[in-house]
Amino acid sequence: MTARRRWSIGRALDGFFFVFAGLAAIWLAYLSFTASFSLGWAGIAMVIAFWVLLAYLVLPRLHRILTAVYVPDYFMGRTRTSDGLLGDPVNLAFQGEREAIEAVMAAAGWIAADPVSLRSSWRIITSTLRRRSYPRAPVSPLFLFGRMQDLAYQQEVAGSPAQRHHVRLWKCPDGWLLPGGRRVDWLAAGTFDRAVGLSLFTLQVTHRIDADTDIERDHIVGSVRAVPGVAVDVIRDFSTGYHSRNGGGDSITTDGDLPIVDVSAVGVSAVDVAAAEAGT
Amino acid sequence: MSARRAPHKRAAFEPLAPAVTGAPDMHRPAATVAGAVLVFLRAAAGMLWAFGVAFELPPWLQAVAAASGDASDGSSPLTLADFDTTPGVFLGVLGFVALVQVVFGSFVLAGGNVARVVVMVISTLSIIGSFIGWWEFGQDITVRTTLLTLSLDILVLLALSSREAAAYARRPRRRRRERRRDGARTPSSRRAVGAPSDSAG
Repeated sequence: MTARRRWSIGRALDGFFFVFAGLAAIWLAYLSFTASFSLGWAGIAMVIAFWVLLAYLVLPRLHRILTAVYVPDYFMGRTRTSDGLLGDPVNLAFQGEREAIEAVMAAAGWIAADPVSLRSSWRIITSTLRRRSYPRAPVSPLFLFGRMQDLAYQQEVAGSPAQRHHVRLWKCPDGWLLPGGRRVDWLAAGTFDRAVGLSLFTLQVTHRIDADTDIERDHIVGSVRAVPGVAVDVIRDFSTGYHSRNGGGDSITTDGDLPIVDVSAVGVSAVDVAAAEAGT
Repeated sequence: MSARRAPHKRAAFEPLAPAVTGAPDMHRPAATVAGAVLVFLRAAAGMLWAFGVAFELPPWLQAVAAASGDASDGSSPLTLADFDTTPGVFLGVLGFVALVQVVFGSFVLAGGNVARVVVMVISTLSIIGSFIGWWEFGQDITVRTTLLTLSLDILVLLALSSREAAAYARRPRRRRRERRRDGARTPSSRRAVGAPSDSAG
């Protein structure tokens, strides 16, 4: 019983420190900004320090505090960024086991993304700057059902991670129903990274996405539809109302259709054979 | 009727998964490491400042040392004569303070929640002190005075108050140090608390 208690001194303290640290960081950003005027050339380094402070510490913390207050935490067809901002739209659903999805995506030419780590982050930066290929480049975490994506796939476009197709998948909680009552096993958000730029909301370096998310959704569906045994059903006008911006401030438009890709009829071994044949 | 249907339906809203407690096997998040490293830096800055007061340092190191301390106006660098003590006592006291910081930093790194909260309380008091001095008494906070220590305090607080750091410090675990409540729940951890090897940490 006490374990489920919602309020405790420890949590209240944590909440206080969370908000106080955000306020203190604003003050620090102000101090470093004003200090940069009095430093001559060293002031440029100070301005960069100010941007790092603002983009990676102050604004994320502010967004985290504010979105916890005003963004409701139920399913609304949108993922959320780690700062709590509304992220890429949920525009795909899957039926089937994890193994079947992995097999189908591999057969359709999708490559699983590396988990975000210091090493993979460094590698995506260097390969973007030097325009080198990094087919397994990590994708940033987005959250649905309070969880990071379970699977992430991508296809590099111009031999560099700056432009890529990518899709994230979340396993739905057991017994969870879509608004409207339909049951799906997985939800997915597919968008096309068109360039590297600055996020509108946090000023962090991030991928800008193509506004027409339907093109990317249809590209994903088209690629997996070619795999034998995959069936596709569509819920029309599922999210017609969600014309908006994603977590980086890029605008999004969609016709609102939600394709449901059913891979449950796909035998894992059959796909492996097909993929092996295609590869040889 | 509703009772019959209830087990098949979930609530329309997802419960806000409070990231307050992590999984027992969660990896140490970057925020915890950053917080501990910043506490170590704070200790190093304090020692550097102490050495700067006690000994003659090269000019560039003297400048860094002055910025690491609490020189209020930065007009004239403090020397040992201002404190009316011997170098041994002076360095001993400040060395002890730095040692305490290093110990707390190590506990934070190990994932201790009590150490995390204590460090955050101290940082908060230090920040409030600086803010009052700045707002009420017009003390300058620049690179040449206390901006470095203040930044370290605020960055420590930011890192350790983050959700990941909180989740890591509050994660349930088998071997317990400071939370006996968890230990009372599972027999294995009760043994671990009583084990003599555990008290060494």
